[in-house]
Amino acid sequence: MRWQGLVAFALLLGVLALGWTLLGDRVVESTAEEATTKLLGATVEIDGLRIRTAATSLDVGALRIADPFDPMRNLIDARDLVLVLEPEPLLEKKLVVRRLVLGDVRFGTARERPAPPAPRDGFAAQTLGEIRRWAGQFERPLLSFTPIDTLKQLVLDPAQLATVREAQALAAHADSVRGALEAGFRGLALQATLDSARALVARLEGANPVALGIEGTRRAVADVRRTLDEVNAAKRRVESLATDARSGARALERGLQALDSVRRADYAFARSLLEVPTIEGPALGNALFGDVSIERFQQAVYWAELAQRHMPPGLAPRERTGPERVRMAGTTVRFPKAQEYPTFLLRSGEARFTLTGVGGATNEYVVGVANVTSAPTMLGKPAVVAARGGGAGNAPLLALRGALDHTGAEARDRVTGEITNIVLPGIDLPGLPWRLEPGVGGSRLELALAGERIDARWTLRADAVRWVADSARLSRASMMETFVGRVITGIPELELDARLTGTMAAPSLSVRSNLDRVLESRLRAVLGEEIARAEAKARAAVDSIVQERTAPLRARVAEVRADAERRVEAATASVDEARAVLDERLKSLTTGVGGILARPK
Amino acid sequence: MLALLKLLQSLVRTLHSDGTPAQIAGGVALGAALGLTPLTAAHNLLVVLLLLVLNVSFGAGMLAWALFVPVGFLLDPVFDAIGRRLLDAPSLAGTWTAWFNTPVVPYTSFNNSVVLGSVVGWLLLFVPIFLLAHLFVVRYRATLGARIQRSRYFKAFAASKAYNVYRWFYPE
Repeated sequence: MRWQGLVAFALLLGVLALGWTLLGDRVVESTAEEATTKLLGATVEIDGLRIRTAATSLDVGALRIADPFDPMRNLIDARDLVLVLEPEPLLEKKLVVRRLVLGDVRFGTARERPAPPAPRDGFAAQTLGEIRRWAGQFERPLLSFTPIDTLKQLVLDPAQLATVREAQALAAHADSVRGALEAGFRGLALQATLDSARALVARLEGANPVALGIEGTRRAVADVRRTLDEVNAAKRRVESLATDARSGARALERGLQALDSVRRADYAFARSLLEVPTIEGPALGNALFGDVSIERFQQAVYWAELAQRHMPPGLAPRERTGPERVRMAGTTVRFPKAQEYPTFLLRSGEARFTLTGVGGATNEYVVGVANVTSAPTMLGKPAVVAARGGGAGNAPLLALRGALDHTGAEARDRVTGEITNIVLPGIDLPGLPWRLEPGVGGSRLELALAGERIDARWTLRADAVRWVADSARLSRASMMETFVGRVITGIPELELDARLTGTMAAPSLSVRSNLDRVLESRLRAVLGEEIARAEAKARAAVDSIVQERTAPLRARVAEVRADAERRVEAATASVDEARAVLDERLKSLTTGVGGILARPK
Repeated sequence: MLALLKLLQSLVRTLHSDGTPAQIAGGVALGAALGLTPLTAAHNLLVVLLLLVLNVSFGAGMLAWALFVPVGFLLDPVFDAIGRRLLDAPSLAGTWTAWFNTPVVPYTSFNNSVVLGSVVGWLLLFVPIFLLAHLFVVRYRATLGARIQRSRYFKAFAASKAYNVYRWFYPE
């Protein structure tokens, strides 16, 4: 042992301690930035972090969390943060925040520089990607008011039509059915059986029991019986093949019928190519406000999804990508245990913020959170969030409450937020040269997630909306667009109700508003006839291609069926004829010996 | 680079009293941990402590660190696979859970697949590395050592700074 080595080791520890004293704040700041950015999938910037070792607390000068959906905007811009940590869990590398206070929070502030995107391999970025794909799956009907007299010439590529693709697949199936029947007929080996029967009949032609004698007759009867058995077996094979042929033909018939239902999707596709205006109420609602509704829902769903991933139910080990380093990151596994500290727990936190209402009236609000943890099952309590305030004078009235219950086997999240008496952000109407400025109004968002099921609702109400025209686009507006503009700009209030229901994998969006109800009735009166004509045009274009491509297929299917029927019929007739002749021969042989040789039943 | 050599030279002078093959091999086997496993993991503090207090060649340990760093990078996928298998083993889940919830132990990052795999890999390789290093030093001294020492290249080399590094492997 070299005990003097301890001095060198102590020196090394001293250097490390000095490094921590000098650079610890910066190291923690940068580590916290990296970890929270990875966690949230949005750039997090932290300034002025100070470690108060004796008080086991952290002071943070400023915290900015970029909006993952808009890199030029900060979702949260907070100052004067204080995190009071519990010391004991720190020994286990766990972060238990006894109290978090955010002194001055602002929402939606503009960024000077765009926030860099979240690391692509991080699961927050993957969640963001999934949410974007999820949002992309909703069908927003096209809101187009192309003048009907300038309807496009419809040029359809047959390869674009689902019916044609299905017909090609069915043609291949018909060939395979035909091939299978061919093989079946060959496998019958009917000719050999029939030849053998004919040869026997020819051999016994004119023979009688007297001439053959008893032994000769017995052998002849045995030969006839054996051949009859072979013929009967051949008949059974023919019957089995006939069943297969009928079943194959029925499958092809069903395929032909299915083409008709596929054709309906092609009608819709052709209609979309023609940009035929949408005039049905629900479709109009989705077309007018589908984008803005999905934007609201996708943000709520993103944060709920992140919460579900970061706060999973149960106590199974959790895997995460390891820390970023020059060496391979590997996988870090956490092993939660009941009655122990979770890796992260925020016991309670509050944030103070100010909202501005009508005429610059402001009010201070407090939002509180509690029991936010990486292992809800260990804590046994749901994470809760609540905020309330305002309402006096012209100040906005805010009510927020939510519970994220991940303590059971299935995660259940329910959040409701409502704000009234606030200036609502403007809404662009796709396809129209007007922008809707709702002005002062109220908005409410409810989100309920239970496992895979989602039920969300977003409502918006404004009593004095303004319509801001895009003058450049307006000057080029068609007659129909001008007409639509006249209709909607005459509507002074907005009532919007968007619902999102179903499962996360297959959600369904339904948006209704007073605007689309009014617009529907006015458009139906003006455009109904023209639209019906355009739809007929789309149907005719599809029918023409489908007819051309499916006619040979229908003929082929009919041919396969007819050919199968004909061959089965011929085979059955041949077998029956051979059987009748053999029966006759057997009868003549057996009746001549006084019934000594019994005929088969 | 020269400053680093000087530092290592002074450490060797202070700590390296007797460069037997076993001491050099011990230094190499311990120093391999610094190269094979992620450096910032807490267990490497213990390795450095052992290099400093055990009567092994500290300089050989430093050289082994430098030599085994590229080996560590190359073997990372293997270490990751070993670590994943161990962390996912149901029979060890109780041990990992207990360690994960024991003070200080989580700072070793044992629950990271690369850290755990590389530490286990190093422990498995410890004896082979020791024996190979021992064999190398013994063979070197018995065969090449004396001849090289007499050569004019070596004399020129001995006059240079690099000789100090070479001396780590040569008995005093």
